[in-house]
Amino acid sequence: MRSNEFDVIIIGGGITGAGTQRDCAMRGLRTLLVERSDIATGATGRNHGLLHSGARYAVNDPESAEECIRENRILRRIASHCVDDTQGLFITLPEDDLAYQKTFVECCRKADIDAEIIDPAEAIRLEPSVNPALVGAVKVPDGSVDPFRLTAANMLDAKLHGGQVLLQTEVTGFIREGDTIKGIRTRNVLTGATAEYYAPVTVNAAGIWGQHIAEMASVQVGMFPSKGALLIFAHRVNSVVINRCRKPANADILVPGDTVCIIGTTSTRIPFEECDNVAVTPEEVNLLISEGAKLAPSLASTRILRAYAGVRPLVSADNDPSGRNISRGIVCLDHETRDGLKGFVTITGGKLMTYRLMAEMATDAVCRKLGVSKACETAVTPLPGSEANSLREVAEVIWENPNTVQKASASRLGTRAERLRGGDRYDQALICECEEVSVGEINSAIERLDVSDLTDLRRRTRVGMGTCQGELCACRASALLARAHGCVERERKDMKDYLTERWKGNFPIGWGDTLREAEYTQWVYKHVLGL
Amino acid sequence: MKFDTVIIGGGLAGLVAGISLQKAGRSTAIVSAGQNALHFFSGTFESMEQDARTEDLFAEAGIRLSWREGWRLMPLGTFRPAGLSLEDVSLLETPALPGSALIVNFAGFHDFFASFLAEGLEKAGTSCRTRVLQIREMEDMRLSPSEMRSVNIARTMDRIWEKVVGEVRELLKDEDTVILPQVFGLEDPTVPGKIREALPARVIFVGTLPPSVPGIRTQHQLQRRYGVLGGTYLMGDEVVSAQMEGDRVVSISTKNLGSHVLSADSFVLSSGSFFSKGLMSTPEHVYEPLFKLDVVFAEERSDWYRPDFMDNQPYLSFGVRTDADLRALKGGRPVENLYAMGSILGGTRPEFGTGAGLAIRSAFAVSDALTR
Repeated sequence: MRSNEFDVIIIGGGITGAGTQRDCAMRGLRTLLVERSDIATGATGRNHGLLHSGARYAVNDPESAEECIRENRILRRIASHCVDDTQGLFITLPEDDLAYQKTFVECCRKADIDAEIIDPAEAIRLEPSVNPALVGAVKVPDGSVDPFRLTAANMLDAKLHGGQVLLQTEVTGFIREGDTIKGIRTRNVLTGATAEYYAPVTVNAAGIWGQHIAEMASVQVGMFPSKGALLIFAHRVNSVVINRCRKPANADILVPGDTVCIIGTTSTRIPFEECDNVAVTPEEVNLLISEGAKLAPSLASTRILRAYAGVRPLVSADNDPSGRNISRGIVCLDHETRDGLKGFVTITGGKLMTYRLMAEMATDAVCRKLGVSKACETAVTPLPGSEANSLREVAEVIWENPNTVQKASASRLGTRAERLRGGDRYDQALICECEEVSVGEINSAIERLDVSDLTDLRRRTRVGMGTCQGELCACRASALLARAHGCVERERKDMKDYLTERWKGNFPIGWGDTLREAEYTQWVYKHVLGL
Repeated sequence: MKFDTVIIGGGLAGLVAGISLQKAGRSTAIVSAGQNALHFFSGTFESMEQDARTEDLFAEAGIRLSWREGWRLMPLGTFRPAGLSLEDVSLLETPALPGSALIVNFAGFHDFFASFLAEGLEKAGTSCRTRVLQIREMEDMRLSPSEMRSVNIARTMDRIWEKVVGEVRELLKDEDTVILPQVFGLEDPTVPGKIREALPARVIFVGTLPPSVPGIRTQHQLQRRYGVLGGTYLMGDEVVSAQMEGDRVVSISTKNLGSHVLSADSFVLSSGSFFSKGLMSTPEHVYEPLFKLDVVFAEERSDWYRPDFMDNQPYLSFGVRTDADLRALKGGRPVENLYAMGSILGGTRPEFGTGAGLAIRSAFAVSDALTR
């Protein structure tokens, strides 16, 4: 067996690709995952991080609702260190139709979602930041999930099962023999090096870019690029997810996550050319703030940390101009039965919430083709880091008296934080003060989690995700990267790219404290450090 | 309380104006909210060259400034054109360090960038050796993960710098230059000079991440000088409102003084730009919060920024509108006895330069206008 031969190749390093690689690897297949950029750079890392109960889809899309609640229960078990069990509220405001609440609750129950109507006063007790004008409230088992952590944990487990991961590696074409896909041609985007990899089955898990991948294989998958813009607020204003109890619309979900909360989204069809560089417009910012303040009035005066947008990989169905009514349902295409092309599977549609089910469906299709009969175990086997039930359990097992830095590490790494236990005082020194990320945790991410630049490091450790947006930690972390990679030259450019990337999310909301912080950061890097 | 002039803002501009006015026999008070741009000062006055008036004022405060046409070494290993600088900064003839250099850092100090310095210098032809000092006196500091920062290290260095210099001498082979972080002489301004004398090689102090040790020392020295001249420095106080009569400011109220207002014949606003809250912004506009002065800014928010972070950002040029004498405008008319200076002017008075140059030149211009 040559080193460029595998049982299955997976294209795409989002949560679907990572989940599919894990599932395939756990079923004993030799897997290769290729990603042209970094993990979770597409829709995976550009959403609310909402652990849907399914309630949002109960009325209009019961199939998605049922999938969501099943996966919700599974993720709480297998990904406990990525999940925050916040619970959720669906509130009715005076301008909403209270009659909708009855339909909503009935549909939830039909989908097996535990939805309980509660008194508005009790809702305020449960979530003090909620709009006090509410006239109705329903409690549902929503939560929040960290998509970066979830993707990294899936990929790590795939690697622990012998999988290979190639980041910064772009697919440039397929190796085809007659009506069969035999492998892929790739190009490393950093070095330009080209290579060929072979496998009897290739899975297209490239999200919105999957249409392009399919075209390369000469089959059609019609995608509907739907942009969703979101805002991150600098405080965890709410501790319970707040939704509007009405037909899904713009900016009607507020999700707490780590130290922040996130309002979103909008839904706008965009041309394919814009998918690689989506920008948030002033109109979207204004809409998100005004609608968000209806859920939690204090948002109107809360500092905004950044604005960002993702592109939903919806599969084209009808002429709906917004994409709101397209099913969030999963689409798994075996191109052999659909198009007569052997050795090629596309897994698309769906959502972060149902990634595991998507992976299971794609892996089942792969196994059918390869004649492998081993059953899926991803619904019952915890991800690396999630072997303990609670953060407290994790931290206390590892450290007798964990300090705040160690607790922060445990919250990010789960039981994997054990590997940091031997760290001395030097390893505990803080690089990122906002998010309490230590030298030890950064070095460990650089060593084990395929980090090539500061932005990759941010996705794996939260370095620079806090209030200051990398003001002081970017150059500290950059020095650690320079040492690990032995290249300062590259880090100079990396620092500039990183700051520009942070700025891209800051200037659409560049007023008040955000502008103050930006002025300071600009001063530090240009005039003090001389970058 | 009644003064000739009350200055709002105790940074570089406020202190230079305050010292000049006290020297001219005026009674002044400075209201300072706390930190200012001197706390993240690079050691070089941006947009300033040789200037006798500035040098004299600083010399009287015990601060020696120097200038030569040339270059200075930046913390990430690049060279920038030199300017009027504190003694801590070495001014070089060329953008290079001939010969060899020993770069010394302290173990676990992440705010000084030895590897970047080494790479930048190697590229400019210097052969570099980097060594890390393990100092016993710094071990307790590490118990807290966020203690290894410039000012904390400088406090320790104030006690043990002679011992540390001894260890650097041990490390030194035949290098022409020793590069050390700017963590020396927080209290005693003569320390950097003494270190230069104590080592048999050229010593270059290179900046760290903020807070800036030479900047904080400079702030203390200027503040002390202002006090010696009889100025009243109200530290940690904040102006909450201003009382006007027609086109004149009569008095201001502060948080700490409560109902005791500060009255004066004239007032000077040097409350800084956005970071110091001298200017504030909402999604729609940029305003000056205290007097609601006229502010120059772009109408459309999209014109406030450029997408490349390193570009010159238009919002940095926004500032308070003034007349020829730096009197602030409100509703298109000058407030008779209110002057604006320093970074609150933004780019509205390009003749004064930018950064520290803008602060010092506009402060002299205001004190001249007030003593004419």
